[in-house]
Amino acid sequence: MPPIYLGEFEYAVLLAVLHLDEDAYAVPIRELIEERTGRPVARGALYTGLDRLEAKGCLKSRMGDATDERGGKAKRYYAVTQAGLKAIRATHDALASLTKGLESILEQP
Amino acid sequence: MKFAEQLLSVVVRDLEHRESIVGDLREEHARQARRVGAGRATRWHLRQSLGIAVRYGVFKLLRRKPPVRWITIAEHDLESRWWSGLTRDVFYAWRAVLQRKSLAAVVVITLAVALAANSTTFSLMDALVLRPYRFPGVDRLLVVTTIAPDDTFVDRENVSAADYRDWTAASKTAAQWAMNLWWDANLSGVDIPEQIPGRMVSPGFFALLGSTPALGREFLDEEARPGQHRRVVLGHGLWQRRFAGDPAIIGQSVRFDGEPYEVVGVAREGFQIPDGTEVWAPLALTDEQWANRRQAFYGAFARLADGQRVASARAELTSIIETQRRDHPDTNKNRLARVMTFTDGMADPGAGAFIGIWQAAALLLLLIACANIANLLMARGSERGQEYALRLALGASRTRIFMQTVIEGLLLSAMAIVLAMPLTQVGLGLSKASIPASVLRFIPGWAFIRVDAGLFVATAALATLAMLLFAFIPALQATRAHVSDTLRQSGRTQTAGRQRQWLRSALATTQVALALALVFGSLLALAAADKTVNGNLGFDKENVLVGTLNLPERGYSEPEKRRQFLNGVMDGIRAIPAVTDLGVVNNIPAGFNNNGRPFFPEGVDVQPAEARFVNYRLATNGYFAALKIPLLRGRWFEEADRPESVQVAVVSASLARRYWPGQDPLGKRFKLAHDGPWFSVVGVCGDVVHNWFTRREESLYRPVSQSPPYGGDFAIRTVGDPTAVAADFRGAVAAMDADQPIASLKPLDAMVEDRAAGFTFIARALGLVALIALVLSLLGIYSLMAFLTTQRTQEIGVRMALGAGRWQVIGAVSRRAIGITIVGSVVGAAIALGLASVMQSILFGLVTTNVTLLGVLVVVMAGAALVAAYLPASRAAGIDPMSALRES
Repeated sequence: MPPIYLGEFEYAVLLAVLHLDEDAYAVPIRELIEERTGRPVARGALYTGLDRLEAKGCLKSRMGDATDERGGKAKRYYAVTQAGLKAIRATHDALASLTKGLESILEQP
Repeated sequence: MKFAEQLLSVVVRDLEHRESIVGDLREEHARQARRVGAGRATRWHLRQSLGIAVRYGVFKLLRRKPPVRWITIAEHDLESRWWSGLTRDVFYAWRAVLQRKSLAAVVVITLAVALAANSTTFSLMDALVLRPYRFPGVDRLLVVTTIAPDDTFVDRENVSAADYRDWTAASKTAAQWAMNLWWDANLSGVDIPEQIPGRMVSPGFFALLGSTPALGREFLDEEARPGQHRRVVLGHGLWQRRFAGDPAIIGQSVRFDGEPYEVVGVAREGFQIPDGTEVWAPLALTDEQWANRRQAFYGAFARLADGQRVASARAELTSIIETQRRDHPDTNKNRLARVMTFTDGMADPGAGAFIGIWQAAALLLLLIACANIANLLMARGSERGQEYALRLALGASRTRIFMQTVIEGLLLSAMAIVLAMPLTQVGLGLSKASIPASVLRFIPGWAFIRVDAGLFVATAALATLAMLLFAFIPALQATRAHVSDTLRQSGRTQTAGRQRQWLRSALATTQVALALALVFGSLLALAAADKTVNGNLGFDKENVLVGTLNLPERGYSEPEKRRQFLNGVMDGIRAIPAVTDLGVVNNIPAGFNNNGRPFFPEGVDVQPAEARFVNYRLATNGYFAALKIPLLRGRWFEEADRPESVQVAVVSASLARRYWPGQDPLGKRFKLAHDGPWFSVVGVCGDVVHNWFTRREESLYRPVSQSPPYGGDFAIRTVGDPTAVAADFRGAVAAMDADQPIASLKPLDAMVEDRAAGFTFIARALGLVALIALVLSLLGIYSLMAFLTTQRTQEIGVRMALGAGRWQVIGAVSRRAIGITIVGSVVGAAIALGLASVMQSILFGLVTTNVTLLGVLVVVMAGAALVAAYLPASRAAGIDPMSALRES
């Protein structure tokens, strides 16, 4: 299987899905990314990003339960696949190897 | 919210995805509503839905196939700086243009025609009026002259030698001066004698005008003395034509007026100042002539001294001339200063006004075209209103959308410029072809009529200006639109926003009004042009050949010699069988020259400086017969009117009316100089229009037998084609004097036409401009109505389904057009009347405001406008209600 390349935004989405575990659907994913990175995320961008990741095989999704708050509409839950995990690790390793030796600079308060 | 979800359902086709997205948004909407209230939450929801829809749509489209719709523009909308992605903007604009090929074609052609009309007039205006002289330093040159306050006859070239000498001595603002005098130079001693337009000029003339001769030199100071002055500088054209461009001509002798002149120089190519001059000789005045303050027939040029401005020179020379008025009241009392720039001073006083009218008409046409295009683009704009609103909702800045609309406008303008240039070329070609060769020498700047870089720049500037006019309104409307309003409007609402409709109606009304005024103005101009040629001239121009001779002073200074020559030529012509009547006059009507004299009637004390000028004619009896000028009272000249008998005159009816109102003019006496001899009126004849544009008809005729002129115009009435006797005329002249050239030989009707040619051409051009304007404005009403009717198709369907009849529908949809037509006609009629009064003031008696014509025009115009409105309305009334209702 050829390696999967992740963009910065895709990487963030995958990490957020991992964090949220069972509760990973679009609304909390977006909130988590915004909260942790401090950057605004357009909803359109998120949906297309999720779609793209699913198409690449990094995510899988299932339809969940509906709540009154949602006007009877179901949630779409996401989970990271094995390929997705591999991609996350590969990206993480690549970034880690790049930052190696720069700790003194990067870890300054 | 419902709308937003519908929108999402269009974009997100996958059911599960759609459900989850809609659910997510509802969930967040509920939270927003608790935080900021229901209204703001709903707007938030709409914005978010739109954002997702577009993102999602782009995403899907990019995956499937290359984007073809406008929605792809959205991505770079998010970039906030207006200049980012400018190339992409141009590309998108180009695609937007291509999407509507026919609309773009109409816009480009409309604009190109209006631009071509403008650049044609501008090129003519620039070459003939604004910059007819383009030698270096022309802006530092002045024409200094004096003008009588109440006399429109002569407004330049009336400087006396003594006045001129005073000026050169007193002025500190002008550094160099030159004087010139008209000279009909008869080139002789060659196989075919020819009359050359010449000037006697003071030394330094060429240096003053910044054009020293190309070969040889100009005149020296000592050559400006009588006896030393037999020198000439040849014009480049004359040198080429008659002397084969031979450089060895310098130092050779050439005969003018029967005397040898040494050629000292050849002027540079194109140098023909003033008025198409082809030969120059030194102006050699005697001391007596220099002291003469009464005879004022010199032209004076001056160059500003370093650091001086036109205004200061004008002030100084005006005060010098005012001093002369006080010091020499007998001659200078009526001489007011007139200091003009060289370009103004050398211009034909009428031409600027005529071309100005034309230019104004062309600009009006451009305005109409812009109104038309703005209307078309606004119709397109309401189609695109949703695109704009969507993009605004997605965070595109208003600047970006504004810029894109402007870029689209620029693109259309650029295409129009490309098309306008060849059209301009055609327009200029037609313009040039319509000016007869005989008047060319009086049109300086003729050679500059062409399509050049400057014209291109001017056209481009005008196109940009036009673009700003027609593209700004739709662009402003697009960016001012309220997003949610527009999106809501887009559903099933039938008519565009009130304000937009109001603006479009105003544009259509403006078009109707301007077109009406233009058509009326051009009809007046055409009527006036026709009048100059076919109106009541006071003489019969058909079947008359006019041959013009100018006798040189030397050899013909004896009156008896001139009389012999004229009689000899006339005897020769009378022998031609086809000739029925024959006469001589010094200045034929419609000729280029006129002759005026101050008029002093007996019994009224008129000071020389106050005397009015009247046309002065020397004629034979045969002249009146040849031109069929009627005798109203008294008698013509008789054999008994000899030089030594009583000096007699025939006066025109208008002259008799002015000086002897209600009296019998026969036997009245007058003088032509304050201290001159008396002349007796023996007859009164009909008035003759000499020149429509100066409008001086008061004329007096003296018999040739008592005062033979230096040549003149032979009027030869023939049976049949007058040009058939041309060769016989040449023979008759050559038989009397083989060295005497014929200055011109032309049928009188052609001379009348030539005289009016410039005006006729401009009137016709105006007519064409007006016709285009008329078509454009009708097209404007038609397109507006067609657009409005299409928008109301469903409404019409409902009305018809509810039982409305055909005419009720037509009435309902064409009500607006009727309003536009009525308001446009009223405003247009008001503008037309204003225009007519302006034209009346410029064109003297030629233009008469014809209210009936205006009324007819309004009715025709209104009728045409109503037909333009009726066509789409009638089509609307013919539709099937059911299919109209089904149309979404």
